[in-house]
Amino acid sequence: MTTNVNTPADERPAPSPSGPGGGSRPTAFSRVFNARVAEASMLPIAFALVIVGFGIARPGTFLQWSNFTSIFGLNSTQLVLVMALLIPLTNGDLDLSVAELSGMTGILVGWLNVNHGWAIVPAILVALAVGVLCGAINGWIIVRFDVNPFIVTLAMGSVFDGIAFWLPNQQTIPGISPKLTDWTALHHILGIPLDFWYGIVIMLVLFYVLTFTPFGQRSLFIGQSREVARLSGFRVSSTRFWAFVAAGFIAAISGVINDGILGAATPQNQGNLLLAVYAAAFLGFTTIQPGRFNAIGAGISVYFLAVAVNGMNLLGAQTYIQSLFYGVFLVVAVVASRVINRRRAASAARAAN
Amino acid sequence: MSGTAQTAPASADTTAAPALEASNLAKSFGASRALKGVDLTIHAGEVVALLGENGSGKSTLVKILSGYHEPEPGGSLRMNGVDVPLPVPLGQARTVGLGFVYQDLGLAPNMQVVENLFVGRRVNGAAGSFSRINWGAERERAREIFERYGVDLDPGAQTGRLRPTSQALLAIVRAAEELHDYRRAHERGGGVLVLDEPTVFLPEHEKVFLFDLVRRIVGEGFGVLFVSHDMTAVREIAHRAVVLRDGAKVGDVAVASASDADLIELVSGHRLDRSTIEQATTYGSQAAVETSGEVVLSVRDVRSGRVRGVSFELRAGEILGVAGLLGAGSEDLPYVLFGDAEGSSGEVRLPDWSGDVSELSPARSIGLGMALVPADRKQQGVVPDLPVALNMLSLSLKNFMQGGFLRVDRLIGTANQRTETYDVRPRDASLNVAALSGGNQQKVVLARWLEQGPRVLLLHEPTQGVDVATRHQIYELMRARAAQGVAILWVSTDFDELATVSHRILLCAHGTIAGTLAPPYARDRITSEVYSATARGAGREVTTAP
Repeated sequence: MTTNVNTPADERPAPSPSGPGGGSRPTAFSRVFNARVAEASMLPIAFALVIVGFGIARPGTFLQWSNFTSIFGLNSTQLVLVMALLIPLTNGDLDLSVAELSGMTGILVGWLNVNHGWAIVPAILVALAVGVLCGAINGWIIVRFDVNPFIVTLAMGSVFDGIAFWLPNQQTIPGISPKLTDWTALHHILGIPLDFWYGIVIMLVLFYVLTFTPFGQRSLFIGQSREVARLSGFRVSSTRFWAFVAAGFIAAISGVINDGILGAATPQNQGNLLLAVYAAAFLGFTTIQPGRFNAIGAGISVYFLAVAVNGMNLLGAQTYIQSLFYGVFLVVAVVASRVINRRRAASAARAAN
Repeated sequence: MSGTAQTAPASADTTAAPALEASNLAKSFGASRALKGVDLTIHAGEVVALLGENGSGKSTLVKILSGYHEPEPGGSLRMNGVDVPLPVPLGQARTVGLGFVYQDLGLAPNMQVVENLFVGRRVNGAAGSFSRINWGAERERAREIFERYGVDLDPGAQTGRLRPTSQALLAIVRAAEELHDYRRAHERGGGVLVLDEPTVFLPEHEKVFLFDLVRRIVGEGFGVLFVSHDMTAVREIAHRAVVLRDGAKVGDVAVASASDADLIELVSGHRLDRSTIEQATTYGSQAAVETSGEVVLSVRDVRSGRVRGVSFELRAGEILGVAGLLGAGSEDLPYVLFGDAEGSSGEVRLPDWSGDVSELSPARSIGLGMALVPADRKQQGVVPDLPVALNMLSLSLKNFMQGGFLRVDRLIGTANQRTETYDVRPRDASLNVAALSGGNQQKVVLARWLEQGPRVLLLHEPTQGVDVATRHQIYELMRARAAQGVAILWVSTDFDELATVSHRILLCAHGTIAGTLAPPYARDRITSEVYSATARGAGREVTTAP
């Protein structure tokens, strides 16, 4: 008795290059390449075009290796911070407080180290613990009282911002232990500052967690359908809570790294930073593993945006270009991610008929 | 492997302890006894069909097994000879050896087949949360599993892109695999798969794939409880049929020794007369002629999804009942006619307009004098957290504008009067709708549309979740409106209700109108006619399938 369903060709779509999708069939390869890979590689291609374009316009300055190493080093705060967003986003939750939390923990390190004479390592450990605690507060309020994470984290962000200006009395705290700067911005591997490599390590950890662990799978199901997740026996609230805790922890790391890059702790408005990382997260949604918030895509997007801003600066653009640019790109990225989801739904409907 | 034979029971092992042995399961909701002490036994390797019309207690029984309902004291459940304390822990039914596949399948459409297949393995607590998932091995394992069950699914495919039949197969394989996990964990046999209406939305000629899969699962020694309205499917794979009516078990028969007529008689309590339906059609059309009103809604060959070519005429002053089983297409008809379905076609004639149904939209339909009362009150009928006044008069707010301001005082005043007219209790239109009982909420929904003075009223399950007293008030209200010349299309799976209110009843099966039923109307007659129309239609479709 053979009972194979006669699946139409349309039903064997191409596995994506994501972790679980890697098992491709050679027969499907050409179609895979046309559809999914084209979609997944759109951003890397745009990235290459941007580099070529600015390279032609400013060959003397833009194309220097030193320009790239400085871009890599100076934007690692964003590279780390975007990773903080990914787990809550995968769960279907927005965390708008990460940028301010990053700023506050950065101030906390300087305040303890300079104003109170703590050694740098305990100061960092306390700052990381505070990051975890703040993430836990976010998560607890959201899960315990079933309130909208958008509003809660927006409000908590304002609280963190207030503390960040209050602790140092609105002044920059200079003279943070040079050890911190040594171990972030000054030591190099392959000519690129260490802080970049920290970001890469965190990115790879996030990639692993989201793609290869039961925790990541639970988050995906929860983000896609709370009902399916609940009926599968997942503890939805607990998973969402720990996502906010992880976000707080990673945001605190980015605050510490930022201190090292600047050699000082400066209270400042974090609005641009927040827009930049959200733009990167949603751009990342459209690439590498399209349709999922993914670490590699988000990491590439951070540097796509940073390189574009750098190039425009070299062309003589003013600093306000950043606000403009990040805002526009966030809108573009959100629309693109929505279009991807719609297209998938439409092709699913076609396949079903 | 076609849809014939195979009805002979497999070697169901009746000597060992049954895979499932439930006794005296009972449940009441308020004063109504939904389930009156029902016994159910399923042996290993046996498919038991659970039959019964809407409200027979079928879904209550399934929900007791899944842990959703707590049965009354006195009931007991033994799985494979081991006592299971009741209630079954909600969401944990698999830990006692019960696997469920519901109509909606519970798959995440944007995720891959392999991810959906093994979702149950991601549940366990913190310890293994960050251990590596070897996707290569998981895909390999998925392929082996699909091969063992003889289904052709690509583990890397996106689940939402699969055909509905393939998605159903995936959901069933997943449930079976989870039962295997249960066997391994407890080092024993047993395990029962509950399939709750899994064939309803599948094309007729693809159901055979599902039947083959179920046979293989049965071959592994699992018991299967097959909940269905679908007589053809039951005949195809079930060994035994347990029939519920009004909350009690009225039959427990071997399928091979029972005819369709026997089963339908058990379900409906009414002996089927094969000639009635032909008589009904002629008699029905005569009855229609007798209806004096002019035709206000004429529908020709309307199609959309499960609606596969529906034609009828609706006259002023008439209540036209549409009786069909779940999945027959009747449940979509009101929304299609209201212009709320995509990809629809067919001709619609109203007094002021005629054209293709795809040109209609809800806004346009309202303008043309149509009104729709949807079945899903919470999602589509009312806004629970807004006051009664706003819910009731939301379509006529412009009448309460004065100098650019909304006169809330007048709005509440008028709405308070309407609570008298429609007997909404309590008589306070400033309360939020959520504070009202289901019956009073439904009166608010009806009032909103009746305030518009519609000429055509499309009703879908208008008394679902409504208490008996209110139900009869709604019937009276609708009869009064019909007497004033409103044309009412009344789609319901509550055949008692259709028998009470309808002037004429259309039988809907497989997306078309299978006939018109002549009066006198009674629930058991409608039930038997609908089941037999569905069974005949299924046979026809199977034989004509490519």
